[in-house]
Amino acid sequence: MNRDINIKKTRLNCFRQSKVPGVFMLQMRVPGGMVDAKYLEMIEHISKTWGDGNFHFGTRQTFDICGIKYDSIPQVNEYIEDYICGVDAELCNVDMNKIAGEPREWDPKSGYPTIGARNITACIGNYHCICGNINTFELARKIENLIFPSHYHIKINIVGCPNDCNKAHLCDFGIIGCAKIEYHPERCVGCGLCAKKCEHGATRVLSLNPKTGKIDKDPCCCVGCAECVKACPTSAWTREPTDFYKVIIGGRTGRQTPRLGKMFLNWATEETVLSVLANWQKFSAWVMDYKPEYLHGGHLIDRAGYKKFKEIMLDGVTLNPECLVAEDVFWAETEYRSNYNVKPLETHHAAGPQKA
Amino acid sequence: MNNPLQPQACEIISVKKQGGHEFTFRVKSDAKPLPGQFMQLSLPKIGECPISVSGYGEGWLEFTIRSVGEVTNIIFEKQPGDLLFLRGPYGKGWPIEGIKGKNVVVVSGGTGLAPVRELLNMCADEQGFSKSTTLICGFKDETGIVFSDDLDRWKTKFRTIYALDKDEKSGWRVGMVTKFIKEVDFKGLGDDYALIVVGPPIMMKYACQEALACGAKEENMWLSFERKMSCAIGKCGHCRIDETYVCLDGPVFPYKVAKNLVD
Amino acid sequence: MSYVLSSERADALFSELKKQYRIFAPKRFKAQGRYSDTDIIRYAEAASLEEIVFDEKSDYPAKEVISPIQQALFFFTEDEYRASKGNTRPILLFARPCDINSQHIQAKIYAGNGGYVDMYYERMRETVKFVLMECPSSDDTCFCVSMGTNKTDDYAMAIRVDNDGSVKFKVCDEALKPFFSQSTVAEYEPKFVKENETKVTLPDIPNKEVLGKLKEHPMWKEYNGRCISCGACTIACSTCTCFTTKDIAYGDNPEVGERRRVTSSCQIDGFSTVAGGASYRNTAGDRMRFKMLHKFHDYKARFGDSHMCVGCGRCIHRCPEFITITNALNKMCNAVEEIKAEKGGAEK
Repeated sequence: MNRDINIKKTRLNCFRQSKVPGVFMLQMRVPGGMVDAKYLEMIEHISKTWGDGNFHFGTRQTFDICGIKYDSIPQVNEYIEDYICGVDAELCNVDMNKIAGEPREWDPKSGYPTIGARNITACIGNYHCICGNINTFELARKIENLIFPSHYHIKINIVGCPNDCNKAHLCDFGIIGCAKIEYHPERCVGCGLCAKKCEHGATRVLSLNPKTGKIDKDPCCCVGCAECVKACPTSAWTREPTDFYKVIIGGRTGRQTPRLGKMFLNWATEETVLSVLANWQKFSAWVMDYKPEYLHGGHLIDRAGYKKFKEIMLDGVTLNPECLVAEDVFWAETEYRSNYNVKPLETHHAAGPQKA
Repeated sequence: MNNPLQPQACEIISVKKQGGHEFTFRVKSDAKPLPGQFMQLSLPKIGECPISVSGYGEGWLEFTIRSVGEVTNIIFEKQPGDLLFLRGPYGKGWPIEGIKGKNVVVVSGGTGLAPVRELLNMCADEQGFSKSTTLICGFKDETGIVFSDDLDRWKTKFRTIYALDKDEKSGWRVGMVTKFIKEVDFKGLGDDYALIVVGPPIMMKYACQEALACGAKEENMWLSFERKMSCAIGKCGHCRIDETYVCLDGPVFPYKVAKNLVD
Repeated sequence: MSYVLSSERADALFSELKKQYRIFAPKRFKAQGRYSDTDIIRYAEAASLEEIVFDEKSDYPAKEVISPIQQALFFFTEDEYRASKGNTRPILLFARPCDINSQHIQAKIYAGNGGYVDMYYERMRETVKFVLMECPSSDDTCFCVSMGTNKTDDYAMAIRVDNDGSVKFKVCDEALKPFFSQSTVAEYEPKFVKENETKVTLPDIPNKEVLGKLKEHPMWKEYNGRCISCGACTIACSTCTCFTTKDIAYGDNPEVGERRRVTSSCQIDGFSTVAGGASYRNTAGDRMRFKMLHKFHDYKARFGDSHMCVGCGRCIHRCPEFITITNALNKMCNAVEEIKAEKGGAEK
């Protein structure tokens, strides 16, 4: 193949370069990993018409169709108009004529306008799972329009409960569905099953008090998993009607400094989470001096420092009264190379607006 | 409305330590329990539990309480003049009419002695109550021995075999009570005996097996059950086995009934 | 006499009744279910007719009103146990035929067994008048027809809420009739469910020998691996009566406190543990067997007239492990037949 291709442009269009020259893989966004099964026919059609007949589940829950030739990209883009409009514009209320909040007209036949914010992944959540405390994909759909389209790179994982199957601790923003638990001692028969469950599967905050035959709780260490509610034979433990979330920041994999994320917010309501995330574009832009780079969110937090991150992300946000915010974050990276971080001063990255 | 769960305050007359862990409380009461019946004893702050009446007389009752855990402190606090709370007596005791005039053989383990103590006193003191009396009585170790005054006295009145499970003690034998059952000549006693077995469930099981192996007849055997109870009046359900409520229909059962009471 | 009331008139009637009666009925507790965004329907004092759930079976039984999960029996000081006073106001208890029939079973134990009458049960029961909630249909866990508990005539008043919101009443209790003096007389006789989707056959255990063999039958072992001994089935049971008492010393003054009784369950570890530490039925299978035999043999063997199950199906509905009493019962019937056949064979 001998063709001049701007692979950065194809990537922005969500076609990823392959090891075979001129052959690409389309990544289609599936916010929260949940769409109508009718779209599988479209996937099949794309794959059989323009691709190599195969299909891969992207690690970020995208529909990935490989083997698409460069010349077919315009046809594929035209074909996926219905998908983009149906899923992003309609289901997620995304304004396709904006990029990072700035007006930019979108040609519906031109495919995805940006790759920027990566697909929001989610476990199945309480739509199906007996452990789930929240509807994960509905939350993903509400977040999608805050972060997409945008050139700023952010990875968000949503999980229905603190078991964290979908690894909220390994992405820029991990959102964990939690429940505040109410105790109805008059319904408690003192069987102690909740305390056993909490000990085996959670943070051991419950204990059966032999003097009262009721349960003592250490509320500050409760992770809000609601295992006690599931275990209780009498409904003596119930979830409060409001959904709550933990927000974990700065987790990542990678070649340099993989690390688990740390808790930023605890017991945030959906409204709080959404208004905090609405500040993400502003924060990213500020850190990178308004020039998007191929650098994902966790690195931006490092560059700005947690306190600056906190300042911008909480700007204008009214936290719900229960919400707790990390005063500081103590990261613990895996350093593949000892003192990786100790290097000549002139090679350090700068954050914020720079002098010309 | 009459409240059968209502405990009555009873004044403590005396407190006596028995062996290592047990205390015998004598309280003022006009209740007239039959040997083998039990009562519900309340210690405020601790709760209520079924307890055998280990002795009784004109205007008084005795209970022997094991002091373990939380109960210990409460028991240590109690002095003559203080109150205990009682209700009862409950259940069916030993079939006195069926036993009277027969050769009485009692096999007891540990504090299982409490519910047969008054029966043994009848054997010892009432002329002609029993044709003969044999007591095979075992304890885990020396600290577990209860009613030592009675043991000494009974020794002078009828045939006794006293044993500790493992330890040596002068005048005592070593081994489980089951080991000594074969020393009773059930065949020699003809049909004219009553074998009474009381103690922990496992001990009763093996003692009965051994007695049957030694020729004892099912219809001459009696047992007393210990079960958790929260009411003693057939409501709380804890002591139920099949259609039988131990609190109402027991705690004393003929072996022929007891053998079918499988938990 | 029967009446029909518009929804507004029925609301007004409800308000009038509330002046004289405490009204307990199944109510929906939003999002308080075992899993998130699921509801619980349980008994509580109802403020309005609208709060009462008519079209779905409650998760927890009506017995919770008469023999509550927790109740104070006595208040103690150093020198006395003083009985609690309890409810004195008359109660209207909205209940389905299964729940009403279950009270006849509970009464055999609480107010009869051994000749002792439980004062706490009896004084509460005396304040209760049943309002029969007509079952529009049964759900797939109901087997009341098999148990003969689908019908009852033990009610002060019967009620049906029709699709148009109008409410029909049949009033039997003289004391309730004055509330209807202005109401429109109507033809209304409560209907009872005639057939359930779920049907059961009841085992015939003829003697102690078969009973003994049934206890040893391998069928119970299945539950060792499946049942988690949580006791949800017995808590949800319309007829289970077991309780444990406990003395609670008040935290800031441990010389005073209360003797409380709390529902307990033969399925939960520790139910049979005696002071010395010995316990019985230490496997889930043994406990399941104990429960099943109580429901379908032991109770009837003691009290004679009926089994201790009203087929309300709440145990099925609440079991987190999808164990059904109906299937256990089928297995039990098969085991009994197997045992009888073996015995017959052996005799030949």
